Amino acid sequence: MNDQGYRSRLIPVLMPLLLFSSPAIAAEKTVDFERDIAPILKSRCLSCHQDRVRQGGLALHSAVGVRKGGESGEIIDLGDPDASYLIDLITAYDGVAEMPQEAAPLTTDEVETFRSWIKQGAHWPENLVLEPPVLWSLRTLTQPPVPTVTQTSAKFPIRNPIDAFVAARHQLAGVQPAPPASKRTLIRRLFLDLTGLLPTPEEVAGFIADEDPRAYEILVDKLLASPHFGERWGRYWLDLARYADSDGYLGDSIRPHAWVYREWVIQAINDDLPFDQFSIEQLAGDLLEKPTDSQLIATGFHRNTLSNTEAGVDLELYRTKELVDRVNTTGMVWLGFTLGCAECHDHKHDPISQKEFYQFYSFFNNADDSSVKVSHDWDMAEYQSKQKQWQPAYEKALTSLQEFEKSDLTAEQKAEITKTLEKYKRSSDLKKISPYYETKQPGWDKLYSQLESLLKTRPSPPATRAPTFKERTKDRRDTFVHVRGIYNQHGEKVDPGTPAVLPEFNAGEPLRDRLDLARWLFQENNPLTARVAVNRIWQHLFARGLVATPNDFGTKGEPPTHPLLLDWLAAEYKSQNWSRKTMIRLIVMSSTYRMSSAANASPVQHDVNNQLLWRQNSYRVEAEIVRDIHLTASSLLDRTIGRRGIRPPLPAFVTDVGRSVKWPATEGSARYRRGMYIVFKRTVPYPMLMTFDAPDATVSCSRRERSNTPLQALTLLNGPLFFESAQALGKLMWEEHQDNLPAATEEMFLRCFSRPPAPREQEYLNAAYADLLYLAENSQAKTKSAEDPQQTALIQLARIVMNLDEFITRD
Amino acid sequence: MQNPQHHDLNALNRRRFFATGASGLGTLALASLMKQDGLLGAGQQLAHFAPRAKRCIYLFMEGGPSQMDLFDPKPRLNELDGQPMPESLLKDIKFAFIQKEAARIMGSPRTFKRYGECGMELSDLLPHLSTCVDDIALIRSMHCEQFNHLPGQLMMLSGSDLQGRPTLGSWLNYGLGNESENLPGYVVLATLGRGLPGGASSWSSGFLPSQYAGTLFRNQGSPVLNLANPPEISNAAQMRSLQTINELNGLRYEQIGNPEISSRIKAYELAFRMQQTAPELLDLSGETKTTLEEYGVTREEASKSSTSGFMGSYARNCLLARRMVERGVRFVSLFLSTWDHHSALDSGLERYTKISDQPVAALLKDLKQRGLLDETLVVWGGEFGRTPLGENRVNFKKVTGRDHHPYSFSMWLAGGGIKGGQVIGETDEIGWGVTKDPVHVHDLHATILKLFGLDHEKLTYRFQGRDFRLTDVSGNIVEQLLA
Repeated sequence: MNDQGYRSRLIPVLMPLLLFSSPAIAAEKTVDFERDIAPILKSRCLSCHQDRVRQGGLALHSAVGVRKGGESGEIIDLGDPDASYLIDLITAYDGVAEMPQEAAPLTTDEVETFRSWIKQGAHWPENLVLEPPVLWSLRTLTQPPVPTVTQTSAKFPIRNPIDAFVAARHQLAGVQPAPPASKRTLIRRLFLDLTGLLPTPEEVAGFIADEDPRAYEILVDKLLASPHFGERWGRYWLDLARYADSDGYLGDSIRPHAWVYREWVIQAINDDLPFDQFSIEQLAGDLLEKPTDSQLIATGFHRNTLSNTEAGVDLELYRTKELVDRVNTTGMVWLGFTLGCAECHDHKHDPISQKEFYQFYSFFNNADDSSVKVSHDWDMAEYQSKQKQWQPAYEKALTSLQEFEKSDLTAEQKAEITKTLEKYKRSSDLKKISPYYETKQPGWDKLYSQLESLLKTRPSPPATRAPTFKERTKDRRDTFVHVRGIYNQHGEKVDPGTPAVLPEFNAGEPLRDRLDLARWLFQENNPLTARVAVNRIWQHLFARGLVATPNDFGTKGEPPTHPLLLDWLAAEYKSQNWSRKTMIRLIVMSSTYRMSSAANASPVQHDVNNQLLWRQNSYRVEAEIVRDIHLTASSLLDRTIGRRGIRPPLPAFVTDVGRSVKWPATEGSARYRRGMYIVFKRTVPYPMLMTFDAPDATVSCSRRERSNTPLQALTLLNGPLFFESAQALGKLMWEEHQDNLPAATEEMFLRCFSRPPAPREQEYLNAAYADLLYLAENSQAKTKSAEDPQQTALIQLARIVMNLDEFITRD
Repeated sequence: MQNPQHHDLNALNRRRFFATGASGLGTLALASLMKQDGLLGAGQQLAHFAPRAKRCIYLFMEGGPSQMDLFDPKPRLNELDGQPMPESLLKDIKFAFIQKEAARIMGSPRTFKRYGECGMELSDLLPHLSTCVDDIALIRSMHCEQFNHLPGQLMMLSGSDLQGRPTLGSWLNYGLGNESENLPGYVVLATLGRGLPGGASSWSSGFLPSQYAGTLFRNQGSPVLNLANPPEISNAAQMRSLQTINELNGLRYEQIGNPEISSRIKAYELAFRMQQTAPELLDLSGETKTTLEEYGVTREEASKSSTSGFMGSYARNCLLARRMVERGVRFVSLFLSTWDHHSALDSGLERYTKISDQPVAALLKDLKQRGLLDETLVVWGGEFGRTPLGENRVNFKKVTGRDHHPYSFSMWLAGGGIKGGQVIGETDEIGWGVTKDPVHVHDLHATILKLFGLDHEKLTYRFQGRDFRLTDVSGNIVEQLLA
């Protein structure tokens, strides 16, 4: 697979080299089938014309097939190319040939080779059967040797094998790598990539001042150990897991305990749970021997599927849809394969047949929804403190209540009162015991309503039940192929199985259940899992994967830009015991990662899309991080990790579009928790998140869009949380720096960009400040506002700084 | 604090805000950069045919309006009232709520008459629309498979019963871009009671980038979320701040040359223009009294009703829809919820036609009078129709409504290349199934795209290894609809 990636993205420098490798055969030469014809057949014809797929009834993988021809008859007239239908089909007229379909025509040389071959008798070696080409991603994974390159540039030291692979390509293409980014850019980059938060000005100053050559490495290790690392990398995983806090569809009921799974993900990533174990627990934790609660919670992965609870729906139909989603998600997340195309029928280009789709489906067909009780110390403590606050008023009310008690109550009636109060559920409960009281006495009505409101607000002890999977043991369902994808049109009965294009399970042992499936994903000879997984890690650190289509490693996806590097990393991931942190550390330690991301970092304009990795890529940070950095820079951030979600305030017109949406705004500092904790209601997703391209949690998402829109500008300028952040930052600067504008702007810049303003920037800021101050003084005179105009102007300056592109960009 | 001298605030004008001279970024260079950016949905400019329609107003009637009480007269229903349906018809049918065994046909109290030159038959509930029949093409043979609300609505809005696909308005903006300088290309107005089944997924851009998603507008006050400055920020301060934001972004662009920064500059300029323009959109003071009356903006409200306020709100939304297409908005979605009349069908229909008939007809006439109808496609319809059977849900004491019925229902289209004054398709004598010229939802979508100059088989987006289309793997153009 060494050059497959290259060829599809030729750069001018390579062009002359590759021309030599094309089969330019002069007409009079003797055609050698294996040397001249077979490669063309394999690369241009066999994907549609072979043993399994016979478009137009034609198979070109064997002598028999070629002689026989297709539905339109014979294709070769031995010795006479002009009379051969095959030549008609492949010869281009006006640049267009009938075959190959939807692809570039064969070159004149290639056509000439076929003509010579037919003229010379169309010899096909006896018993030779051609295999269709194996897709690059399905080839056996071995760790390629690291290229021995000499350092090409003092700016790009070869720090580890990643750099060697990247430099080898630079050299080949004559490309100069970008210089390393500044220390200020690097610390901000690392903070954003590893924790999604910003460094404080002190952390930046410390890093700049630290002359220890290991300073960078120490910083990397510190950030990998940060509990916020699990949040940052957990959110990526939650995109894949299509995590949300509600069912979706019309009902869209809140899933009150979905967060337990989110918390599990954060914790597992912070603990660096090896990726194989991390995956096996999520796919089949319930089938492990004596599973722990944590392993059961992990199976919440596949409980994130949408579920339709609309009245009158066909339940089996929607159960089927959930299963199809689970199959598709599993395929995309671990295999980088779109299995879903085979739901309805076979496709010629797909390596997966419809039967195989339903074999895969059968792994999930007997998993039932279940739950596991979980308890958290903080949850209990929260309850106890609420209870403590509530109790005294209640006891007081009970004492008052006794004063109204009728004198002739029996012991039974008294017991009924106690029981009713204890088990109180609704207003009518309280009405039931009213007859036992002197309700005509003054004060009763007040006490009654007081008691009612107390009972309604009685804190309830935590009763968290995390959604899980449980394999059913009786009434097990058989699985059938669904004819044309229609759920109740059963075709052939199928057993669990994995696609034939991939290695068999443990040398042919039968696969029984999800646990076997999960283990098969990680067995030594599975070529996809490691490639797909390591590509995602790369993607998060370079804004684009080595394979740009992270969930499509199939025929329609992009080939890798650096196939050898991808394989080296994939093999390394396995040999590092699937440690995510080890791989991230390896990548961020490379010179490749540390390059400048500036588009003009090199005077020569090489490939503008940076396919050759001559620089880092900059990217607009994700929706949640946009929020998080505003909260960090303004010191408003509540750093609580995990736990229940929050509901930042929303105007009613936004929530009213959904059916009966309750959105009680979260109070206190929890309002300032990270974006990943915002309750995600599928029919009324939080607008700010959607405006910044957060996924809608309907299907697994492995690559977010990064749009750049006026609504984003309006959100950052005027959204309450963002203005609040500017207010907090401006106020803080006012308190710290009072009459020192340069000091105030410098700290703002340091908090937001990890760098001080440049002189020209300072000029613009000064001018803006002067105008804003003037405006503030004017309006203060009118409104008699208590806020100092200088503070007002600083707040507005902070708002400007927080609206700059650089703020929401990871450079 | 050290106080740089006060600037002349007269300089704080629009011109200065848009000037990029200080940033060193030449206006020309900037303009050419912007063109590639697809900001505010510049789209793919993909038109495959000569377009007939440039804009669309989609009047979505959420819940499933009853076709045999509005558009598709079935005198036979009254003759068969109270009788069971032949078992053969019910064999493979699923209902949301009807219990098949005891279900009985339900007649309609409505009277139908012929209107216009074309003689289209419409119900007495649509006195206003009946004056527009020569402009509309009524399809009586719509059909689909989805018999639950959200799957049905998603099918109608996005061509798939699954959440997560782009809606029609997103596809059009993706394909053609936005013509409006100051407004989003896809705007949503909603008159809702208890909300939409799909909430915001009803105008989602699905897997398309978020600039193609519908933007929800309020019809009073500040129209768009976060459009208004925080109360602490005056207009002058906002303008001054935007100036500095663009100056500093310009400096940064000059320094590192990342094209994304120039997109950001443009986005802030557009945001500012939207701030200036969108509130004006809601200001109806420039509309004549006659116009307001024709739409019914000032109609009296029923004081005690769960739909109190709908009369004015829906009329206003219809008028706003015209104002939006006038300003180049590509796609305006008007939701009216809900026509889901499982019970009290007669009074429900009376109420909802009272709310909508007048403004919808006024919209058609207004568009026509202003010469906008030719290029503005107007679509009217829900996600499905209703059963000829009365709904005998388990806990219902009386049968007063109809259940969901996707197997035949009615919709209409007008303007934008539609041949008006015709009825397409027929249903059987009780309106159970389509007997002539069936039009599937995919066919409707294919035809709408065609009206906009787009080939539904070529307008695709690669996602998760597949090229997705609005019409999935089907869709035939309904040639008869085209003028």
